[in-house]
Amino acid sequence: MEWRLYARDRVAMFWTMAFPVLLLLGFGTIFRDGGGPKLSVVRVQSAVQSPHDAALDQALTDLQLKVQTLTKAEAEARWSRGETAAQVEPDGEGYRLRLNSYLMAQAGATAGLVNQAWLMAQARMSGAPEPQRIPVQVESPGHKRSTNYASFLLPGLLGLNLVSMGLFSVGMVNVSYREKGKFRRLAVTPLPKWIFLLGQVLHRLTITVVQAAILILVGRLVFGIQNQGSFSHLLLIMTLGTGCFMAFGFALSGFAETSEGYAAISNLVFFPLMLLSGVYFTLDAAPAWLQHTVALLPLAPFLRALRAVFNDGAGLAGHGLGLAIVAAWGFAAFLLAVRRFRWS
Amino acid sequence: MPAPALRIRGLRKAFPKVVAVDGVDLEVARGEVFGLLGPNGAGKTTTLEIIEGLTSADAGSIEILGLTWEQQGQEIRSRIGVQLQSTSLFNKITPREALDLYGSYYPKRRGTQELLDLVQLEEKADAYHVTLSGGQQQRLALAMALVNDPELVFLDEPTTGLDPQARRSLWDVVRRMKGEGRTVVLTTHYMDEAEALCDRLAIMDHGKVIATGTPASLISELAIPSVVELTFEGAAPEPAAFAARLGQAVERRADLWEIPTPDPKTLLPRLLEAAEAAVVPFQQVHVRRATLEDVFLHRTGRSLRE
Ligand SMILES: Nc1ncnc2c1ncn2[C@@H]1O[C@H](COP(=O)(O)OP(=O)(O)O)[C@@H](O)[C@H]1O
Ligand SMILES: [Mg+2]
Repeated sequence: MEWRLYARDRVAMFWTMAFPVLLLLGFGTIFRDGGGPKLSVVRVQSAVQSPHDAALDQALTDLQLKVQTLTKAEAEARWSRGETAAQVEPDGEGYRLRLNSYLMAQAGATAGLVNQAWLMAQARMSGAPEPQRIPVQVESPGHKRSTNYASFLLPGLLGLNLVSMGLFSVGMVNVSYREKGKFRRLAVTPLPKWIFLLGQVLHRLTITVVQAAILILVGRLVFGIQNQGSFSHLLLIMTLGTGCFMAFGFALSGFAETSEGYAAISNLVFFPLMLLSGVYFTLDAAPAWLQHTVALLPLAPFLRALRAVFNDGAGLAGHGLGLAIVAAWGFAAFLLAVRRFRWS
Repeated sequence: MPAPALRIRGLRKAFPKVVAVDGVDLEVARGEVFGLLGPNGAGKTTTLEIIEGLTSADAGSIEILGLTWEQQGQEIRSRIGVQLQSTSLFNKITPREALDLYGSYYPKRRGTQELLDLVQLEEKADAYHVTLSGGQQQRLALAMALVNDPELVFLDEPTTGLDPQARRSLWDVVRRMKGEGRTVVLTTHYMDEAEALCDRLAIMDHGKVIATGTPASLISELAIPSVVELTFEGAAPEPAAFAARLGQAVERRADLWEIPTPDPKTLLPRLLEAAEAAVVPFQQVHVRRATLEDVFLHRTGRSLRE
C-alpha cells in the first residue's frame, strides 16, 4: 500500500530514484577532467632554490600531488581566503607543513603524501644520513592555532544547524502544514502573504539565535571554547544567514506539492550547496568555470565570516562582499517565496 | 438601494474527473439566511470556496457586497466571515488565543470575550484545541467567522457530525447572527436544518441548482403535497406488484413504503382495501405533509440521504 501511494507521487518517485544517480553523474563529469581526483598542495617558493627544493618538488609530482607554486605573498593571500588545505613552506634549514583546520580530512591525506615525498627526496639525494619528517602545524585561515579541535568545529556546527533548519525543517513544516490545510483558514483573512512569511522568518530567527546561544554556552562551559570575536558581529552574521536560509526553505516549499516532493527538492539543493561550496573540501580539482560559479553561492561566504569572527577574532571588514552575497540571496529567496506561496 | 449580498452568474468548476460546479446562478439579499441544500458531492463546498476566494473558477462572475475579487480582494476578505467545512488549527492553540490571533488580522474586530459568550465557550476558553469536542470546535470555528464583525457570513456544514443538542445550540447562534442584521449563507445536507433556519434556499445536485425558493414555496410547488406511509416490522417487502394493483407509484424505504399523493382522503380507503386483499403485513399507516426531502426525491428521483 505504501508502495502504491509512493508510486503515485511521481515527483517524489522521480527524485528519490533519479537524484542519487544524477548526483553521481554530475560530480563524476565535473571531476573527471583531471584524470582522477588529485590532492593539491601549495608550495611556497624559497628565497633561493636549493637542491632540496628541486628534489622535494620532483617527489611531490611523482606522488601525483598537484603542486601549486606560489610566492610567499600569494600563498598568504590564498591561505587567508581559506582556499588552501595544505601548504609546504621553507622554515630555516627545512620545511614546515601548514594544514587548514577546517579542511582536515583533505589536509590530513595531503600531509601524509607530502611527508612520503620528503622521505623519498631525502633517500634519492642520499645526502642526509638520518631521514627527517616535516613538522606539521594546524591553523585556521586567520592563523589561529588551537589545541582544541572542537573550537574549530563549533562555528561550522552553528552554520550547518542553521542551513539544515532552513532547508529541511522550516520548508518541510511549511509544506506539511499546507498539506494538512492549516493555512486555509488564514487564506480567507486579509493577512498579506508577505507579512505572514516575514513573521515566520522572524519567529525562526529568534529560535536560531537562542539555539546558537545555547550551543556557544555549552561549548564554553564544557570545552572552554571562547568566542574570539565580537558578539554583535556574530549576531549580525547569524541573522543574515538565518534570514537567507529560512527564506530559501520557504521559497523551495513553494515548488513542492507534497512533503515527499519537498524532501527530494531540498536534497537537490542541499547536497550541491554543501559539496560545492568549498566548505568541506576545496575545489582545486574542479574546472575553473565551476569554481567561479560556486563562489557566488551563499554558504561559503557565510561560514567563512562566521569562522573568522568566532575563531580568529576578525572584524567584518574583509567579509563585506561575502555578507552582501548572503543578503542578496536571502532577499531574492524571500521575494520568490512570497511569489510562490500558496495557502492551500 | 445597496447591491445584493451576493450575486453569482454562470459559475463553473471542473476537476479532472468531475464537473463539481456546473453553471450556478445565485442571488442572496442582504439580511437573509440562505441555504445550499444538497447531498454529499453536490458541489456545495466547491461553490462556497470559489465565492470565498479559496478556489479558482473556470468560468462565471461573482459579486460580493457589490465588490469583485479582481478589484477589491482585500476589502472582501475584511468584510466576510468564513467557517470552512473543516477548520484545521494548531493543536495547542486555545479558543481565546485563536480569537485574539485571527482578530489581529482584521482592521475591525469584535472582543474575544464577547465572542466566547456568544458561542458559549467560556469554560473552554483556555483549553487546547485538540481537547475540545466536535461541537465545541464547530462553535469556535463559528466564533472565528464572526471575529471581524462581518456583514456576510459563510458557514459550510456547520452542524454535520454534531449531536441533536449541539445542533440546536448552533442554530441559535445562526439565528442570532440574522438578528444582528448579518447575511448568512450556509450549506447543509439536513433538510430539517434548511427548513428551520433558511429564509430561502437553493437545492443543488451534481453541480447544478435544481430549485430555488423559500422552504414553504418549494414544498407547495410540489404537485403532491402529501405522503402516505405504511410501516413494517423489519424490512419492507418489494412493492412492485402492490403498486400495479393499486395503480399508483410506491417507493420502498428501509422499513416502510411511501405513496405520494395529491389527495390522501380518497387514496386511504382504496389503499387499505388493496392492502387487505393482497395480505400486506404492514403495522401502521401515517399521512404526512411533504418535506424538502420529497422535493429532492421528486426532482432527482433519489433520496437526499443516500
Ligand atoms: N480538490 C478536488 N479535486 C478533485 N475533485 C474534487 C475536489 N474537491 C471536490 N471534488 C469533487 O467535486 C464534487 C463536489 O464536491 P464538494 O463541492 O465537496 O461537494 P459537497 O460539499 O456538496 O459535498 C465531488 O464529486 C468531489 O469529489
Ligand atoms: Mg461539502
